[in-house]
Parts: sequence; structure tokens; C-alpha cells
Amino acid sequence: MIAKIVGMSLLATSITTVVAADMEGVPDGTPADPQTGVALPAGFKATVFAEGVGPVRHIVAAENGWVYGALFRKKDVSGYDVNVGAVAMHDSDGDGVIDKTEYFAPDMQGTGIGVYDGYLYYGTDTAVMRWPLPAGGAPKGDATMIAVGFNKETQHATKNMTFDGKGGLYVNVGAPSNACMREMRKKGSPGMRPCPILEEYGGVWKFDAATPNQDQMKDGQRYATGIRNGIALSWNSHADSLYVAQHGRDQLASFFPDMFTNEQSAELPSEEFHKVAEGADLGWPYSYYNHEVGERMVMPEYGGDGKTVSDEGQKPLVGFPGHWAPNGLMFLKGDAMPAEYRKGAFIAFHGSWNRAPMPQQGYRVVYVPLDDDGNVAGDWITFANGFAGDGPIASPRDAKHRPMGLAEDASGAMYIASSMAGGRIWKITYEGE
Amino acid sequence: MKANNIIAAAALCVAAVVPTFAQGTPEVPAGKALYEENCAVCHQFDGGGVPFMQPELIGSPRANGAKGGVIDMILFGSAAEGAGQGEFSNEMTSFDYLTNKEIAAIATYVRTNFKNDGGPVSDADVRSRRK
Repeated sequence: MIAKIVGMSLLATSITTVVAADMEGVPDGTPADPQTGVALPAGFKATVFAEGVGPVRHIVAAENGWVYGALFRKKDVSGYDVNVGAVAMHDSDGDGVIDKTEYFAPDMQGTGIGVYDGYLYYGTDTAVMRWPLPAGGAPKGDATMIAVGFNKETQHATKNMTFDGKGGLYVNVGAPSNACMREMRKKGSPGMRPCPILEEYGGVWKFDAATPNQDQMKDGQRYATGIRNGIALSWNSHADSLYVAQHGRDQLASFFPDMFTNEQSAELPSEEFHKVAEGADLGWPYSYYNHEVGERMVMPEYGGDGKTVSDEGQKPLVGFPGHWAPNGLMFLKGDAMPAEYRKGAFIAFHGSWNRAPMPQQGYRVVYVPLDDDGNVAGDWITFANGFAGDGPIASPRDAKHRPMGLAEDASGAMYIASSMAGGRIWKITYEGE
Repeated sequence: MKANNIIAAAALCVAAVVPTFAQGTPEVPAGKALYEENCAVCHQFDGGGVPFMQPELIGSPRANGAKGGVIDMILFGSAAEGAGQGEFSNEMTSFDYLTNKEIAAIATYVRTNFKNDGGPVSDADVRSRRK
């Protein structure tokens, strides 16, 4: 037994060392490939898998060989105007580019999409539903409602979901709020304690993946709380645990100019990456994380001054720079990618809007190496970059693309979606160096 | 009405060179500073907004339309157009605690910058929109 423990710890140490030594990622400033508009580490290849399919958000690659994407808006800046909420895509000839599309979910809009146990799941802002996964193409007939009763909101309203592989469905219920202020985003308005929003929002709710018409408050279980918006939500099957990357609050400097400079407000609060056990409290709105000092701090609306440490909320595994907007999270299941990428977390950062007057940042996909137990095993790296285009981004409208959904298909290839400029999806394969 | 607009516009042109203002005509540099203090965090310094989240002000129909449009958005926030009516996710708070003069300065800045040609508004215009 003791020998086993020693052996395991030796193994863990050697994996950590290998990961730290081998992973370099994409250095900042690396030019994107002119054909695909993305920069990747050596050995990886991208194709533009889909272009102009609509404002695609989360994506899933099903076992039937089709890729499904949730569509966020009926109409976007590029003039796309189809009143449907999802798209099915297929690459029949295997050239890395789709040649078939079928639209479905009429009169809906959504971000969440997933496949579990032979069903295709879809999340609008107010419900999670499912269809039997078809042999190919768009699902047929009306969907069966699975999780319902979510209040209609506009802020942080997406009902994205993940599955634990044991019948559990986990749904993000984002808080329609910045810091649970009494008056929404109003300078000088104090935070409410207890924050009433946490009763119905600001957490992850668990449902049975197969039972129809479960009501959020009557049938759902609040699995974790204190999460402002967990749109980057995924089950890590290697560590058998839920993980989330949550959006930190906005506007520290504009509400509290005496405590935060524009420079500090651009970097803070951290975007937080967490392992989430049942009953976990991630701290919002009472505290935020400051990765520069490695502590949770008291939220200024709750008496904080930018320096006072808080004991409310768990510390994240990683604190990323402020406002990068984690919108996608994925753990690979296959073994097509190099060994050091197989157990960690890919996080798609949509890119900031709240760092002005500093340049906007974040528009990238990062990789956090994790060990068998789901603990951090090395420094995070940038896995894919260049989406926003060349040069500093003063305003998010200048960003060509913004990474969003992530998926892995049966062959182990990865997909990265952007809802900008009419929608684009990249397919990423590892070709070797 | 039209003559007033022309006079106000002329005063604005002068203001760019000489900091002298007709009574009730908002000061442009003040409007820019107030915009950057109160609005730019969401609508961005270039007025570009954030796709899907906060509307862009560049070439905005509201900023080129009737005077009350921009004033009402500042006074009442997104409630002015009914919650959930827009294509944008974020809600805008009310800035009714700003003075009529400050709101007029911001509205004028928005209506005369970012490729907009809506023309200036006055303190009195703001006062008339308060409920």
C-alpha cells in the first residue's frame, strides 16, 4: 500500500514535470495563419470547417458524424436572418469543410447544446429540451422539454449544460446582475445581503437528464452557488467532477474610482476557473478573486476597499486576467491529441469589453494542464490565438472573431466556434511535428 | 426651430475654437468627458458598443432621430424601450441622477459625434423629458 502511494506520487511528479517542460503554446503576437485566421502550436493544423452558418455559440460533435451548433440571434451584424435556433453541419467528403447544413429549432434562440445517451439537447434562455439524436442531419419533430421554469432574462440568460455520464444534467443559471446591487449597475448602489438573486440564479442547477418537464425550483437541485455566469461549464470525466470558468463582475473603476485605477480595473477581478463539488460556493457577489495577490477580496458593494481579504467563496484553481469572458470549457475524451493535452481544460475566452480605456484582451483559447485528480499540473498556455485579427483591439467590434464553443468529435479532432461575422467554426487536428 | 438648430450648430462650431457658449448650449469638451466617465465603459470610447450586448452609437438611428430618444435612454435606461425588447443582452441603468446640464452635454456629444448628425440638445430639452 505504501509502495503504491509512493509510486503514484512519483508518477504524478513525473507527469507534472513533463507537462511543464513541454508545453509552450502560442506566444502572444504570433501572426495567425492567413488562410484560417488562427495561430496554433507546432504540429496542429486548422481548417475553416464552417463559414457564415449563423451566430453559432456552443457546439457538439455527435456520434452520427454531424456537428450541431446553437444559434444565438435571429439576425446579426452580417445580415444573417434565419429564424431558427440551431444548425446541423456535415463534412461528407472529409476535407475538413462542411458540405451539408440543415437548420432546426424554429422560432428559438440559444447557446446550450449537447449530446447524451442518444439524445440531442438544446438550451434556449428559458428551457433545456431534447430530441432523439437522428442518424444524420436535423432532429425531427417536437423536442421534449426536460428542464423548464427558468425566468426570462436578458443578462447572463443562456441555459448551457453539461452531463456527468451518470444521468445528471447540469444547467448554468447565470445571475442577471453585476454585483447584486440594489439598483442595477448604478454607481453608488450597495450590494444586497443576503443577495436574493442567489435563490433562483447565480449557480448551477442539477436535473435528471431523462425526466420531462422538471421545474427549476420544484424539481431541480441547486448544485453549486455564487457563480455569476458559468457559461463555460463542463464535466471532467477524468477527475469525475464538474468544472466551471465564471465571469467576474464589471466596472470596478467606473463605480469605485477612489479604489481602482483604470489599469487595475482592466486586470481585476480575475476570471475564475474552478473545480466544483456538490454544494460549492464560489463567492459571488460577496467576494471576487484577485489573481495578483492570490486571495478572494471583499466586493466593494459589500464594504470592500480593494485590499480587504474575504473568507466567502472557494479559491479558484486558476485566476485569469479580468474580463476575458470564459465562454467555453472542454475536456478531451479521446487520444488523438498529444498526451499532455488529454486530461486538462481547454477554455475559450470570448474576449473583453470591460478593459477600456486599456486595449481589449483575451480573444483566445487557453489550455490548463491538469493531473488525474483534476488538479493543476502546470502553467496554463495559449492554445489558439489570432481570432480577433492583427493589432490592439480598442473596442470589441474591431475583433474579427471571438472564440466561443468547443467540441471534440469521435476521431479526436477539436472544433472552435465564433458567433461573429456571420459565424465560423474551425476544425483542429494534430498532424505531428 | 430650424433656425435655433442652425444657431446652436454654429455655436458648437465656434465652441471648437473658442470656449464661449450660448446659454443652455452644452459644452462639447464637457460632454466628451462625461460620456467617457459614465457611458464609455459599456458603449466604448469609440461608440462602437459590444456586439450582442450593448448597442453601438455610431450611425445610430436614435442618435440621429428626435431629441427625446437619446435623452430618454440616459434618463430611464433600457426601460425607455421596454425590457427585453432589443437585440442586446445587457440592461442599461437610469442616469437620472445626473443634472439636466450634464445629460444635455452627453446627449449632444452622442448626437454630434460617432458619425451622427442628430444635432445638440439643451438643458430645457432634458427638463421637459423628466417624469
